[in-house]
Amino acid sequence: MPSPSGPGSLTGFPWPVESARLGNGLWVIVSEDHTAPVVAVNLWYDVGSRHEPTGQTGFAHLFEHLMFEGSLHVPKAEHMRLIQGSGGSLNATTNPDRTNYFETVPAEHLELALWLEADRMGALVPALTQETLDNQREVVKNERRQRYDNVPYGDAWLRLLALLYPPGHPYHHATIGSMADLDAADLDTFKAFHTTWYAPNNAVLTVVGDTDAATVFALAERYFAGLAPNPDLPPPPSGSDGDASATGEVAAPTEREARETVVAEVEAPRVYLATRTAPFGSVAYDAVTLLATVLGSGRGSRLYQRLADGARLAQPDSVAAYSVDLAHAPAPLLLTATTRPGVTAEALEAGLAELVDELAAGNPAVAVTAAELDRAKALLTTGWWQQVATVGGRADILGQYATQLGDPARAGEQLPAWLAVTTDQVAEAAAAVLQPHDRVTLTYLPAAKEAAA
Amino acid sequence: MSRRAGDATSRLVPEPPGPGRQRPYRFPQVVREVMPRGQGQARGQVVAAHLPGQPLAVATLLLGASASHEPTGREGLASVLARALEEGTAARDAAAYALALEGLGAELFTVVDWDSFRVGVEAPVERLPAAVELLAEAARTPRLDPADVTRVRDDEVTSLRMWWAEPGPRADAALRADLFGADQRHGRPVHGDPASVAAVSADEVAAYHQAWLTRPGALLVAGDLDRLDLDALGGAAFAGTSAQPAGADGPAATTARPARRILLVDRPGSVQSTLRLGHTAPPRAHPDYVAMSLAGTVLGGAFTSRLNHLIREVRGYTYGIRADFAHSRRFGAFTVRTAVHTEVTAPALARGVGENIRTDAAGVTEAELEVARSFRAGQLSVDMQTPGAIARALTTLVIHGLPDDYHATLRNHLLNATVEEVSAAAATHLRPDRLTLVVEGDAAAIRGQLAVTGLGDLADATV
Repeated sequence: MPSPSGPGSLTGFPWPVESARLGNGLWVIVSEDHTAPVVAVNLWYDVGSRHEPTGQTGFAHLFEHLMFEGSLHVPKAEHMRLIQGSGGSLNATTNPDRTNYFETVPAEHLELALWLEADRMGALVPALTQETLDNQREVVKNERRQRYDNVPYGDAWLRLLALLYPPGHPYHHATIGSMADLDAADLDTFKAFHTTWYAPNNAVLTVVGDTDAATVFALAERYFAGLAPNPDLPPPPSGSDGDASATGEVAAPTEREARETVVAEVEAPRVYLATRTAPFGSVAYDAVTLLATVLGSGRGSRLYQRLADGARLAQPDSVAAYSVDLAHAPAPLLLTATTRPGVTAEALEAGLAELVDELAAGNPAVAVTAAELDRAKALLTTGWWQQVATVGGRADILGQYATQLGDPARAGEQLPAWLAVTTDQVAEAAAAVLQPHDRVTLTYLPAAKEAAA
Repeated sequence: MSRRAGDATSRLVPEPPGPGRQRPYRFPQVVREVMPRGQGQARGQVVAAHLPGQPLAVATLLLGASASHEPTGREGLASVLARALEEGTAARDAAAYALALEGLGAELFTVVDWDSFRVGVEAPVERLPAAVELLAEAARTPRLDPADVTRVRDDEVTSLRMWWAEPGPRADAALRADLFGADQRHGRPVHGDPASVAAVSADEVAAYHQAWLTRPGALLVAGDLDRLDLDALGGAAFAGTSAQPAGADGPAATTARPARRILLVDRPGSVQSTLRLGHTAPPRAHPDYVAMSLAGTVLGGAFTSRLNHLIREVRGYTYGIRADFAHSRRFGAFTVRTAVHTEVTAPALARGVGENIRTDAAGVTEAELEVARSFRAGQLSVDMQTPGAIARALTTLVIHGLPDDYHATLRNHLLNATVEEVSAAAATHLRPDRLTLVVEGDAAAIRGQLAVTGLGDLADATV
C-alpha cells in the first residue's frame, strides 16, 4: 500500500486508478492493491427512485431485488450460492439517485463475479417470472414494515423528503415506495425497466483489489463487450438540476418553509430540522459537509455541547446533524434531537432553532471557529480513511465519483477539498442554508398512553 | 426498445468460469510483549498486528470488567461506567476532553460484553500515541463526579427505554431469561434493563472502576508497527495500574428446558411479529466449535441457508432470517432471529421449527456444506481488511487464549470439516424439542393462531 501522504501531494486516494471504455459504452475502472487476497466488483447503474413515474414508487428498489433471482444462464438462488460458495460477500442498494451492486470475493473468483454481473446486465428479462416478482414483492413489503413502519420514528425520512421536495420533484417520494404501488407492480413494467436502464452505457464497473488493470480490461471485454447498449437512454427526469452541480453555488433559499407534527407510538418527542443545500460534488456542498460535522458529529459538536450537555434539553445519544449525498438536486441537511424526560418538544425545538438561527444571521460572536473547524476536519479525515480501508468501500467511491462527477480521480480530491474549507466558507454555507424561511420542521409527539388500570 | 427486447442481440458467455490461482491466506504478523519488562510492577500485555502502509491504527484496552461481574440487581453497572469515563478526567473537564480527543480525529468507543470491557480509539497512525494517552487518561483517571455519574446513569435509563420501545430487545430478554434463568447474571440482558440501571449508584460505579479498571489488562494494537512504538503505547496504557488476582470463572451451569414452548410478548399494533427461537449451547472452548458453527451456517448463517431460502425466498414471510451459535467463555446459545408479517406468524414459526427438526435429524448435505465451508473460510479474508476488524480478531485471541496462527488454523478446520462431523454436531447441539419460541407482536391479533400451532404450550412473557 502506498503512503497516504507525501510533501505537497496530499491525496485521499493513494492507489492507482485506471479506466477504459468498452465499445458499448461500459465504463471500466480498476484500482490495484495487493494488500489482501480479495477483490471487489462494484456496478453503479445510473437509475434510482428519482426516475420513477407517479404510480410506480418503489420500483427501482424492487427491481434491485429481482436482479438476485436469476438470469439467462443463472438459475434462481444460484447467484447467491456461487458468490457465498466462493467465500464472498455481496449486496446491493438503491437510493434516489442510483442503484449499486457489489461483491467482495477471494481474488481467484474475480472472473466468476464478472460473469454473474454480465449475465444479469445482459439477460435478466428471460428469467423474470411472475412467481419471482410475487415473492420479492412480499419480501420488499416486509422490508418496508421492518425498516420504516414497525419502528419508532421509522418513517421520518419518508416524511422529510415529501416536505423538502415538492410533489413531482424526483426526490419527493421515498425509495422504498408505497404499499399500493408495490401491489400494483406488473411483470412487463419490470421487463421494460431492465431493457431501458440496465444497459452497459448506463453503468460503471469498478474492480478494486488483488488484480491488475490489464487482466480486468481483458475480462471485461470477454464478458461485457457482447452486451448491446441502449442508444435511447431517456433524459434525466424533470425537476432535477444535475447541471447545477458544476456551478459550485449553494442553491438559493426557495422560500419553502414547512412543518409537520406527527403523533405516534414513540417514547419521547423528537424534532428534525431539515434544509435543502447544494448538490453533492459542489464546492458549496463540501462546506455544508463541514458545517454538518461542526454541528452534529461527536461530543465536541455544537448540538452535543449546547443541547445535550449545556442546556440538557436533548438525550446525549440522540443529537445528530448530517447531509445526505445526493447529486441531482440540492441535497438535504438534517439536524435532529430527542427530548430528555421532562423537556417539551417546544423547548427542544426552540433550542435547536436558536442554534441554527444565530449561525444563519451571521453574528460574528457565534461564528464557527478555527478550532471547531479543525476538529471537524480531523473527524472527517478518520472517516474518509475508514471508508477507503476496504476494497469494497474504495470501489463504491470510485463508482460514485465516476457516475456522478464524471471522473473517478475526483475521489482523491475529496479529502483535500474538505481540508481546504475555510471558516468564511462555513459561515457562508450556514447563512445560505439555515435561514428560517427555508426550513422544514418535523416533530414527533408520543401518543397519549391509556391510564393504567 | 425492440433492439434489446428479450436481449436477443446480446452475446453472453453461457458457462461460469472456474477459479483462478488461489492466493495464500495470511493473517497479519502478530507481536506480543509483556510490559513493563522490569520487576515488581503490574504487568500488562501488548498484542499487536502489523498492517504495513495502513493510514489508520486502532488501539483497544481490554479489561476484565465484563457484564458477568456485575452484582445482582445492578445489571448495566459496567455500561454506566463506560459512559461515565468521558465525563471529565483528573486532568480536564468533559468538554476539554472531547475537544482534545476529537481534535485528533478519534472518538472513544466502549464495548461491554460477557467476557470483557473494552475501551478503544481509531485514528490516523501518526496520531495514535496521543489518542492512546487520552484513552488511558479516561480509563485510568476518570473524574466520576457523583453528580455527573448520576446524570449519566439517568441518560442510560432513558436510552434503554428508547431501545426497549423498538421491536427485539424485549424478545431477546424473554428468551435469555427462559434459557438461563432470570436469577442468573447471564439470564438478564447484557446491558441491563431500565429498572436495573436505575438502581445503580454513583458509589457503585466508582467502586467498580476501582476494582477493575485499575488492573493493567491488555492493549491490542492494529496498525503500521513501523510507525508505532509499542513500548510507549503500553507505557501509557498501563501507567499507575496494579495487579490483582483474577477470579476463577469456569463454565456456567445450564440446563435445557424440559419441553418446547411459546412465550408471547405483547406489542400492540405491531405490523410484524419478531421471532426469537433459541436454546442453550456449550461455551466457546468446546471441541465441536467449528463443526457446530458450520451446522449453524447451513441452517441459518448465510443468505443461501435453509431458513432464509424457505422463509424469505420461497415464502416471502420476511425481509431476512438468520441463525447462529454464539459462545462466550462460560456459556453459549443457539438463536434464530427474524421479523415476519403479523398474519403469517404461526406458519413462519412452524416452518422455522421444521427446518431445525430436519437439520437435527438428517444433518447437512455435501453440496450445502461445500458452500458453508468456502463462505466461512473466505470471510476470514473478506471481513478482515480494516484495522478495526483486525483489532477485534486480536480480542478473540486474548479472551480465548488462542495462538498467533489461530485464524490460519481455523481456516483449515473449516475447509476440512466433513459432512459426518457437521451432521453429528447438528444432532448433538441442535435440540428442536427444547426450543423456546419467543414471539413479540400484536397479541390480540396472533394469540389465536399461536394457541393452535401444536408447537408447544403458550405462555405470556413477563418482560
